[in-house]
Amino acid sequence: MPEITGFAFPNDIHVTWSLMIVMYPYITGFVAGSFIVTSLYHLFDRQEFKPVARLAMATSFAFLLVASLPLQLHLGQPQRGPFVIVTPNFTSAMAGFGILYSFYMLVLVLELWFVWRQEIIERARRSRGTKRAFYAALALGTYDTSPEAIEIDHKAIKILAGICLPAACMLHGYVGFIFGAIKANPWWSTPLMPVIFLLSAAVSGIALLILLYQVHAKLERRPVVASCVQALASWLWFFLILTITLEELELIVMAYEKSESWLIISELLTTRLSFSYVTMQMIVGGLIPLILLAVVVLMNRYLHEKVRNTLATVAAFLTLIQVFSMRWNIVIGGQLLSKSLRGLRSPYEPEIFGREGVLVAIALFVAPFVILWVFDRVLGIEEPEGGPAANPPAAPPGAAPAGSHVP
Amino acid sequence: MEHGKHVFRIVILVAVILAVVLLARGFLVPRTYGLYGRYRGANVAQQMDARPVLYAGAAACADCHSDEATKRAAGAHKNVNCEVCHAPLGAHILADGSVVKPPVDRSFTLCARCHRKVAARPAGFPQVDLEQHVNGPVEGKVCLECHDPHSPKP
Repeated sequence: MPEITGFAFPNDIHVTWSLMIVMYPYITGFVAGSFIVTSLYHLFDRQEFKPVARLAMATSFAFLLVASLPLQLHLGQPQRGPFVIVTPNFTSAMAGFGILYSFYMLVLVLELWFVWRQEIIERARRSRGTKRAFYAALALGTYDTSPEAIEIDHKAIKILAGICLPAACMLHGYVGFIFGAIKANPWWSTPLMPVIFLLSAAVSGIALLILLYQVHAKLERRPVVASCVQALASWLWFFLILTITLEELELIVMAYEKSESWLIISELLTTRLSFSYVTMQMIVGGLIPLILLAVVVLMNRYLHEKVRNTLATVAAFLTLIQVFSMRWNIVIGGQLLSKSLRGLRSPYEPEIFGREGVLVAIALFVAPFVILWVFDRVLGIEEPEGGPAANPPAAPPGAAPAGSHVP
Repeated sequence: MEHGKHVFRIVILVAVILAVVLLARGFLVPRTYGLYGRYRGANVAQQMDARPVLYAGAAACADCHSDEATKRAAGAHKNVNCEVCHAPLGAHILADGSVVKPPVDRSFTLCARCHRKVAARPAGFPQVDLEQHVNGPVEGKVCLECHDPHSPKP
């Protein structure tokens, strides 16, 4: 039985954008967020991010490969995935997704190729048979690792990072636009929406990298670089302050204006969304990490390395919950308002096993990590000690064309 | 640029990918897409062909029934199509060309659909108060006993 409160229109009582539409901005957020971290190193030369720069870029790529899957699972028409890219309908806001997604994918893959080119060449030289043919194809048949060629790579990486960063911001800002441009829904329709989405994407990306960096360092048996964790925690704190401030300002403006929509939005926040908004988004995922990160940033020199890592990791984990709650409250919360603006629709409970269920959502979140693992096996995420070119293995005869040489 | 060979190759690869996308687009977008709007234009004709024509209009009736057509064109029902009461032409002349007697709607309900007194109708439009028409209530009676539908008089 539908559980409506207040006055709702008939046949307008169900939430149709499911958990998959919550996963869509959540996953896309990691794409933009991780790329912001990698560009802090590649574009702005922040050396403290060097240990996570390649991991961040690979993470952005892994999440990008999965980013359109929630939409396709929601539609149930997989062929529409490529169609939105190849035959966009420019009167639809979704055309923007096709254009931005494919453009970002193209530029990111190019940048990845330039960053990992030396690694690919090294592996091509080391391997035999099919494996070698695979790496040779990836290297596009050129084995030039001369200082001049590497200099060209560095220039290309810089230029591509300069294009990729605005593209990543546009990709996620656009996701905010999709909701912000729905003027019939007062919970969505605000020009702040793309900004909030973008900032929370930065939050989720940095938080994920703090966690991934710790796990990756453990798996690789490498020490965690304290300055890197410290820098990530500082930037996470900065972006979290901005995100939460904007999220709250938006509410405060609505509450102060006491516009007619505030009546129902305040009811929504205190009834249907009281747990996911007040408890999770604001307190567990907002206030607590804000305090933990403030400790990490302001009391840095008094902290033992293990304490700093633990505090940063816990804060990062909680901020991931904050961002998920924010996506949930926007996507599901916006649909709980009846179009009458005088009542609330039935609460939404996701199914467990279905195509748009909880298990599929978990699988979608896990998939990028599997892709990352495969990426690590195929190309290696960490830079080999001293860089790939510093310790060149003996090239098999005929592997390197005449003219190219290893410094 | 001796050492820029790999850049040249990746640029060629990107150009090939773009060309493949454009080529795929050429095949995927139907030829008549956008002819009338954001849909496949040829679909309009296909949908029309898929449905048999039922209504033909008053002019088609006048080809055989010129007397009634002339009478109707001079009367107050000149704007009411023959097929409103006499059923569509498709039910009178079948697809194989054979002619059958069409069902004629002589019901009170059909007349009342336009002539029942409703406050929202224009004041000059002939409307019948069903409770007080001539000698009291007329609900359910056959209007055609007194009125000629081809040239109705008040």
